[in-house]
Amino acid sequence: MDIAGKSHNFSKIGKAVKMLCLIAIAVVQIFPLVWLFDFSLASSNELFTKGLLIIPKEIMWDNYAKAFIDGHFLLYLKNSLLINGLAVILVLIISIMASFAITRMTWKLSPLVRNLLLLGMMIPIHATILPNFQIYNKLGITDSIFALLIPYVAFSLPQGVFLTSSFMESIPRELEEAALIDGCNIYRMIAIIITPMMKASIATVSIMTFLNNWNEFMMAMTFLSSKTWKTLPFSVLEFTGEYSSNYAVQFAVMGLTALPAIIIYILLNKHITKGVAAGAIKG
Amino acid sequence: MKQLYSNKWIILSLVAPGILTFVAAILAPICLSVYYSLTDFSGMGSADFIGLENYIALVQDGAFWTALLNSIFLAVGFIVIQHPLAIITAAILDKLQGRAEGVFRCIYFIPNVISVAIIAYLWKFIYNPSFGLLNNILHFFGYQEDVNWLGSGNAIWSVLIVLIWHGFGWGMLIYYTGIKNIDPVLYEAASIDGANARVSFFRITLPLMKPVIQVNVTLAIIAALKQMETVYLLTNGGPGNETQFLANYLYKQAFSSFKYGYGNAISVVFIIICLTATVLLNKAFQEKPIKKEVS
Repeated sequence: MDIAGKSHNFSKIGKAVKMLCLIAIAVVQIFPLVWLFDFSLASSNELFTKGLLIIPKEIMWDNYAKAFIDGHFLLYLKNSLLINGLAVILVLIISIMASFAITRMTWKLSPLVRNLLLLGMMIPIHATILPNFQIYNKLGITDSIFALLIPYVAFSLPQGVFLTSSFMESIPRELEEAALIDGCNIYRMIAIIITPMMKASIATVSIMTFLNNWNEFMMAMTFLSSKTWKTLPFSVLEFTGEYSSNYAVQFAVMGLTALPAIIIYILLNKHITKGVAAGAIKG
Repeated sequence: MKQLYSNKWIILSLVAPGILTFVAAILAPICLSVYYSLTDFSGMGSADFIGLENYIALVQDGAFWTALLNSIFLAVGFIVIQHPLAIITAAILDKLQGRAEGVFRCIYFIPNVISVAIIAYLWKFIYNPSFGLLNNILHFFGYQEDVNWLGSGNAIWSVLIVLIWHGFGWGMLIYYTGIKNIDPVLYEAASIDGANARVSFFRITLPLMKPVIQVNVTLAIIAALKQMETVYLLTNGGPGNETQFLANYLYKQAFSSFKYGYGNAISVVFIIICLTATVLLNKAFQEKPIKKEVS
């Protein structure tokens, strides 16, 4: 009895300690963001406090209005969504096509082409910035959407090919054979028979591609010069120069540009978690 | 049917877009990089062939070695600090039931979905000597001096902290998924045999997680080698070259010092280092499971 009681107490304390650890880490992970949103609603001269958080005298929604307009929020958000969306679609189409040829069709060079396509995973993306800058300059496509789309697609493709080809291997072949015997051509068969069966890996590839490219700004900074195709990170990058002394507005622009990703993540939390887990373990 | 599946034209049409993208965006630039690395090109005007001079200069360049050492420092930091924390957190989280499990998992991952640009500027403010959060926390606990977090000596640690903070959720999530895949029957059997939580963590969780740990360690080392964005915005390699990394250094050489040829030489070496590291790590980790099966 006594011993059982003791070990019961012990496990209770253990549970409390474990819970405290989890909470402590959660605080560390989330507090900087709470701090960010708190400071973004204060006025600039309130920031120089010695306390951890500020209770603003008056909530400065005006900071967000400035951030929204002068940060070109809508234009850059639209560009980010468009470029990322197109990149996802292109990566999916190209990798499903290539995966079909690699996993299903019989040809001598198949393993070689597969390895070639996967090789991109090992190449550091930043090592191609310098030569690509020269190439795009010569082709006259700097400051166009292609300057971002081409490298974004190219560097997400290896993972796309990897994930779709390993998934495709697990799909039974009977259906496609039936379709082909009925006179369907290969391209149509890939589009209407294979693709719908690949929903899980399409979701994973989309999420990984989107997350990778959503954060990217080095290429955008190097290849773009006008506002036309600049992406969301530029709201923050340009703002620090424009409002260099108005810190509160800088906090607001960071908060504002962080919001879309946070909202999308909280809404799609389960899918994104699953997608990342599947993508990262296999990739 | 068989004929259809070995039709060369169909195969070509299916793989051509992929191959073209690879050649246009990765292979051709690398070849061009090799060419530029053998010249004294400044980014504009003409380029003269100078042989291996850039590579010889690179080997003698202290900043290059600092950059490599910094990558090793980061990798060790990830492996020694971030990953043990992530795996322990994942193990605790796995035993937690109900809503709290999902809420914690969600909170841990949030920093990961925020753009690096925002993260870097946010941390620049957190490290700010006059109103930064970190110094205010120190004041809160009674430490009165202002620490210059991005100053000499501290800067590389500050970079490491940001990266550990930003990547924690990602690593945790992968370990968490790995632990979820372990058969719960094993834990039940262990607890019937009288094993406590710690014993079953070291005897069941860790050994079974070995492949996941290997993948994660590989990813951490590669990420440490490829580090660029955070450092570029946080310190741009400074003070001096104290927090320099290869990617940042080649960018700086090409676009700030106008040594375009030299920058390309760094690019080429950078690619070789990344390829070698990946191949070596895969080799090192691949042999173990085979041995295990034999024994």
